[in-house]
Amino acid sequence: MSQAVATRPLKELVTWPAEGYTRVPFNVFSDPEVYAWEQDLIFRGPAWSFLGLDCEISAAGDYITTMVGDTPVIVVRRADGGINALVNRCVHKGSIICFEPKGKRDRRHNFVCPYHNWIYDFDGNLTSIAFEKGIQGKGGMPGDFDKSRHKLTRLRVETIRGLVFGTFSEATAPLQEYLGPEMVEHIERTLYGKLRILGRYSQLMHNNWKLYVENSRDNYHPSLLHAFFTTFKLNRLSAEGGTRQDARNWHHITFTKRFTDQGDQAYDSGMIRAMKEDYGLQDPTLIDQWIEYPDNITNSIESIMPGFVLHQILNSLGTRQVITRGPEKCELVWTLLGFEEDSEEKTRIRVKHGNLVGPGGLVSMEDGEIGHFVQRGIKGDLDGMAIIEMGGRDVGSMPTRATETSVRGFWKAYREMMNV
Amino acid sequence: MKTPATTNKTLEVSASVREAIARLQMQYVHAIDNDEIERWPQFFTENCLYRIISRRDYDEGRPIGVWYCDSRAMLDDRVSSLRGVNVYEPHCYRHVIGPTEITGHKDGRWQTQTSYIIVRTMHDGEMILFSAGRYLDAIQIEGGTARFASRSVVTDSWRYDTLIVIPL
Ligand code: FES
Ligand SMILES: [Fe+2]
Repeated sequence: MSQAVATRPLKELVTWPAEGYTRVPFNVFSDPEVYAWEQDLIFRGPAWSFLGLDCEISAAGDYITTMVGDTPVIVVRRADGGINALVNRCVHKGSIICFEPKGKRDRRHNFVCPYHNWIYDFDGNLTSIAFEKGIQGKGGMPGDFDKSRHKLTRLRVETIRGLVFGTFSEATAPLQEYLGPEMVEHIERTLYGKLRILGRYSQLMHNNWKLYVENSRDNYHPSLLHAFFTTFKLNRLSAEGGTRQDARNWHHITFTKRFTDQGDQAYDSGMIRAMKEDYGLQDPTLIDQWIEYPDNITNSIESIMPGFVLHQILNSLGTRQVITRGPEKCELVWTLLGFEEDSEEKTRIRVKHGNLVGPGGLVSMEDGEIGHFVQRGIKGDLDGMAIIEMGGRDVGSMPTRATETSVRGFWKAYREMMNV
Repeated sequence: MKTPATTNKTLEVSASVREAIARLQMQYVHAIDNDEIERWPQFFTENCLYRIISRRDYDEGRPIGVWYCDSRAMLDDRVSSLRGVNVYEPHCYRHVIGPTEITGHKDGRWQTQTSYIIVRTMHDGEMILFSAGRYLDAIQIEGGTARFASRSVVTDSWRYDTLIVIPL
């Protein structure tokens, strides 16, 4: 399965500047041939992509449809409790087989293509062809057509804390190894309960997918681009910040920690009531919160190569899935989470903190457009390149926010996967 | 939790109530479209609920949408944020609303639903159909003035272009 077959070799398309990952050539953000290679070498390559949540397909026969890069995928719960992921593309004429966001095949555990009713089992085997033997002895498939030689491409699937990941490549290391212990620990720490979906929406961005992924790892920009925190003095909430990376620098966590001593009043329930005098907000209940984690981290963004983000903004928890939509567009699917075990009060706080994130997010709505600003800015100079030297020229964890080490880490991973 | 009950044929609604509700609906969209956002919170009661949620999440009974304000003071905070804090390209909306259906009367509030479409025009002239959906409202009338005790903007799409900084 290849999208890049018709394109020129990557080496002809991308000449990486001699400076290495402190520079990024602008043409990787708009070249359709580079985009085609990314589909092969990254999204269908040795990477784990987020597919959805375990709790969305709790019963045998439940399925959801999703995307890995440009490739449509079905994720289905098997009768034995396992999860299969199959490319959602009929081997006959290529139609998508499942055309709804979710569904259930409970009477028969199979998928039927809507076009000519070819039928597949949950392992992707083609089990039936309509009119295979013809009608009243006329027509039908040739006698030597071998159904067993045609099946749906199946992804490897692994889960961690209710998050389902899939990979096309046999070469991808097992999920835990791919993530590395730091990333695993942070996922396990963040998603400590039984997941419950509190909301889901998507944000359409008019920029290349990498501009968003870079942004999710850029802890240099937030206090500069997003003025909400500083204007309303919410930065009082956080003291130190920093970034952590896995051993290969492929994945990143950027975080800020809470000041241990501050003027807020903590109540018996563990809730911390924000005081009106301390902030510029007319209604400071917006940021009432509870300290959910013993590490005192109040904001963290964990970004997993290639396109998955797990966020904690105060008590808003959520996943973000990057979906490529051509070289100059992408979509971000946000799923806001809580836990089945949450009290009503905790759910209410999570709902209110939902105001801070997403396309209407008071703190970060600018992320929806900033990639578009770059996309438009670079249009006139595709020979140019970006400079990424804040915090030095290296990658690796750093105990500060004044660094682009994680952005360099992304480009390191990109170059390794693309071999450019 | 799908659609509110269809119109109760016996529901008696006086002309003055209908007028107050219609005036509120018109003034609301004109305040936004004419860039008089400062007036927008005044269309709500003090303990109001204003939220923007996709039709899919609404139907599934999920609590989080893209906006969730549970007081008029929070609406004021949204206004100061869009006026002085958030960074975004200048743009405006044009609302077109359908006739308001009054679907019920409960706890002193009129339940209504109203269809809308919003066209977004950017400063460079680009126009798109930004949102379509319905307003599900609970309206309180006091001294002849109608206000939203609650307004749920249920957007038909769950995909939002770029950002939502101006209220729908
Ligand atoms: S395309 Fe699927 S059966 Fe023909
Ligand atoms: Fe940001």
